[in-house]
This record gives sequence, structure tokens and C-alpha cells, in this order.
Amino acid sequence: MMKTITKIKNSKALVTLVWVLGILVIWEIFAFIIQATKRTPENIMPHVWQIFYSFIDPKPVSNGMSCLQVVLFNAGQTLSRAGQGFMIGTLIGFALAILMKLSHIIEKIAAPYLMLIQLIPILGMAPIILAMTHDIGSSRIIIAAILTFYPVATNTLAGLNSVEKQKYELMYSYAAKKSTVYFKMLIPSCIPYFFTGLKIAAPMAITASILVDTLQGDGGLGCMLSQSLKHAMSIYVFWDIVVFSAVIGVLSCSLMGWIENAVSPLKRIERKTKKKKEAA
Amino acid sequence: MNLNSEAIKKNDVEIAINNVSVVFKDNQGNDVKALDNIDFDIHKGEFISLLGPSGCGKTTLLRTIADLLEPTSGNVRVSNMTPKEIRLMQKFGIVFQNPVLFEWRTVKKNIELPLEIMGYSKKDRSDRADEMLEMVGLTKFADHYPQQLSGGMQQRVGIARAFGIRPEILLMDEPFSALDEFTKEKLHLDLLKIWEKTNKTIVFVTHNIQEAVFLSTRICVLSPHPGRLSAVVDADLPYPRTIDMRDTPHFGELVSKVRNSFEGGSL
Repeated sequence: MMKTITKIKNSKALVTLVWVLGILVIWEIFAFIIQATKRTPENIMPHVWQIFYSFIDPKPVSNGMSCLQVVLFNAGQTLSRAGQGFMIGTLIGFALAILMKLSHIIEKIAAPYLMLIQLIPILGMAPIILAMTHDIGSSRIIIAAILTFYPVATNTLAGLNSVEKQKYELMYSYAAKKSTVYFKMLIPSCIPYFFTGLKIAAPMAITASILVDTLQGDGGLGCMLSQSLKHAMSIYVFWDIVVFSAVIGVLSCSLMGWIENAVSPLKRIERKTKKKKEAA
Repeated sequence: MNLNSEAIKKNDVEIAINNVSVVFKDNQGNDVKALDNIDFDIHKGEFISLLGPSGCGKTTLLRTIADLLEPTSGNVRVSNMTPKEIRLMQKFGIVFQNPVLFEWRTVKKNIELPLEIMGYSKKDRSDRADEMLEMVGLTKFADHYPQQLSGGMQQRVGIARAFGIRPEILLMDEPFSALDEFTKEKLHLDLLKIWEKTNKTIVFVTHNIQEAVFLSTRICVLSPHPGRLSAVVDADLPYPRTIDMRDTPHFGELVSKVRNSFEGGSL
């Protein structure tokens, strides 16, 4: 009995549950206040059940599509471009980290300016990219890639630099070639860091893609979001997109975690030993 | 000693340390003599301990043999070649104070790592690793990952990895100093057994007098500031050595002989 109680106390699920319930309660308190005091409460803060009902409400809100259909139809465009940009950014980020590790000169040249790219607000960069490409699709990909490559590059580089001196000395004593040192020691060592980078980058790539959507009227989640805010269609499209993108953002991060677990046996072992310790 | 045995001994020299000095620069840019004119020979099949307190340069000396450090003056010859040539021929096995295992590799794959680098076939690697696992008594743990093992078991994996390449010379830098007494005692016996079976030359760095006396054929006593060779003591206990030898009067005599040969103040 005591054991089950401590187990529940220690479980991550409980913490999450408390958070979710807490936020729901606070949200509803304000939703009731706003309902009582404002003329169009759904524009400011609708009730949670109203948002959820709008997901399943078959009533058409735009071009004969229901709320959910609008969200899903537009999500396809946005997310596929975000995904492409994310993959390109990941490749560039990883390659750049390896290059920076290989050459101190490249690291010295690249590192400070990578920071600068990161400092430019994405809202300022997006219109420039759009003006250059004249295509909202490729702009989404480019912006998502730019946002992705930085956390991937810096985290991977941190991983490459985290290898302790004695491992190098061991490889040196085996007279290992440079390529061997990379493939057998450095790259495997940086994998956990690389995935940390991916977990940070994935939701960012989605957010960036949605932001780029708002620049033009050719569809995409961001486009629908701004139209809904301008009352061109039901305001619930806006709320649904907010909920949907929050869920997708969290899922994209978890997806990276699942992939990591699948490709690295080390991760599984770590979890197993952790569970054993908790059980003991 | 007659001329003949002198000649045999000369032929038998595996590692010749010739007037080796190492000078470092400290933070203020002053020269610090880590090793001062060290000169002695290590013979084939010997178990040599480099013994001394911290700052005596015992690890520095080991690093000059391993080609991890170039002496400021003097030189080291291994089998009449430079340490670098020997390293490139992959004849050194090294064991550090930490096991230095690759966390993403299983125990067996860790032992196979140097064999992979040396281009052994898959089957040869696997056979050799199995043999080494049996030697250190970790066959059951072949598919475990390092973090699932205790510190003593991890160090045994490191030793198995070093012996797996069948090195001519095994260099060990305080390999047992992070372990508890019980584990250490067991590993001492394991190491001696492996050494007697394989007949390799072992250079063993330690700051523990009992450990040095129990394991070695000879003990190089190093004193600090500057690091210098104070004495070479023959640890003439018979082999195979057993735990109860530690309680014999002769063991005690050897320990005090070693202790008294340090220079530069009490320990």
C-alpha cells in the first residue's frame, strides 16, 4: 500500500495531471468571469468545452468545411513544409558541427555569425526570404531549416566536445586513424546531444512554418489563424489551431524522444535501470 | 655477476629509459622539473611498479613510455625502437585509473573495439572477446552495458580490453586506486594470474606500497620535487603469490624497505 502511494507520488504522469488540471481550472475561472463581463466572450476566452465541441461540430465554417476539416486540411501544407525544413536544417546543422570539430578555423569563422543569424527576429527574416523566393512553400522550408540548424549544430558540437581526454588517448594508443576516431568515438558520443538539439528544434520548425503562413493568403495553419482572428470565419478555427499546434508541438518533441529510444539501446538501458531503482 | 649473465640481461631489455627528464611550465611560466634524469631498464616479462607519492612523476614516466608525452631530454627505447614506432605497431595495452569504456557499446563490443581498429575479422574479434571475458570472469555480462556494472567489473572490462589485443607491453596507470579493498584484492590475484599466463611485460603505476610489493617483480621508488628514482627494490616473494603472503614477515620487511627508500621527508 505504502509502496503504491510512493510510486504514484513519484510518477511523472501525476505531475503532468496536476499541471493540466491546474491550468484547466484557472482557465475556466477566467472564462466564467469573461462570460459575465464581455459581449463576445468567445473572442477572448471561450470555455474549454466550447473549444472541444468546435472540433467535433459538423457545422461548416468555411467553403463547406467544418472547423476540424479546415484545421486538418491546412495542417498538411504547413507541417509537411515544416518537416522538410526540419530535415534539411538537421542535415546542415549536423554537417556544420562535424566541420567545426574538424577545423578550428571553420569554428572560429562560423560560431559568432551563427549566433547572429539566430538573433535576427524570424518575423523580420521571413518577408525577406519570401521576397527572394516568391514562393510561400519554399519560404516555409527555408525558415524552418534556419531555425532548426542552429540548435542542432550547437548541441551536436557540444556533444563532440564532451568526449573526455582519456578516450582520445585510448584511441591514440591504438594508432587509430582520424576517420576511425570520428566514426567509432566522436559521432556515437554526440548522439544524445544531437537528439537534445532535435527536441528543441522540432517545435520551433513548426512554429516558424505557421508564422510564415500568416504572410500570405494561400492557406496553411497560420493563414487560417489570421483570417479567423479577422473574423473572416468562425473564431473557433483560431482556438482549434492554437490547441492543435500546441499538441503537435509537444508531439513533435516526443517523436524525437521515441526515435532516440528506438535507435539507441543505451537509452533503453538507462530507463530500465532507472525504473529498477524507483521500484527498489 | 659474470659477463655472461650481464649479456643475457642486456639482450632481454624490453624498455630502456635513458636519462629521461621532463620539464613543465607552471601557471607563472616557471620551469617545473617533473622528472629528473631517470635511467633504468625494464626486462621482458617483468612486472614493474612505479611507486611514489603524488607529484613524483610516476604517471609522467608512464606517459613517456606510452608515447603520450615526449621527454624534454633523454629518450625511451622499447624493443630497440621509439615508443612511437611501437605504438603505431599497436603493441601497447593501456589501462587507466578510470575504466574509460564506451557507454554505447556492450561489454563485449568494448573489448572488441581495439580489435575492430586493428582490422580483425568479425569471427576473430568475437572469439577473442569471449576468451577475454572468460579470463576476467564476465562471460555472463557480455551483453550488458558498462553502466549496468559495478566499478570493479568495469575495471575488469578495461583490463580484458587491454589484454585482448595481446600487447607486448601493458601500461597500467593506478588501475585499482578507485576500488574498494575487497574488489582490489580480488583483481590483484586476477591480474597476477593473467600475467603469469600471458608472460607480458607490465608497467604498473601506484601510490600504494603494499600493492606494489604484492604484485611486482621489481619496484621503482620515485621521490617528488623533482621526480627522481630513489631506489629499485627487488620484491622477491615467490610466485604464484597468495593473499596470506601479505602476513609473512618477509612481506613486512619488503614494505619497510620500500618505505625507507623514499627521499625528501617522511610520507
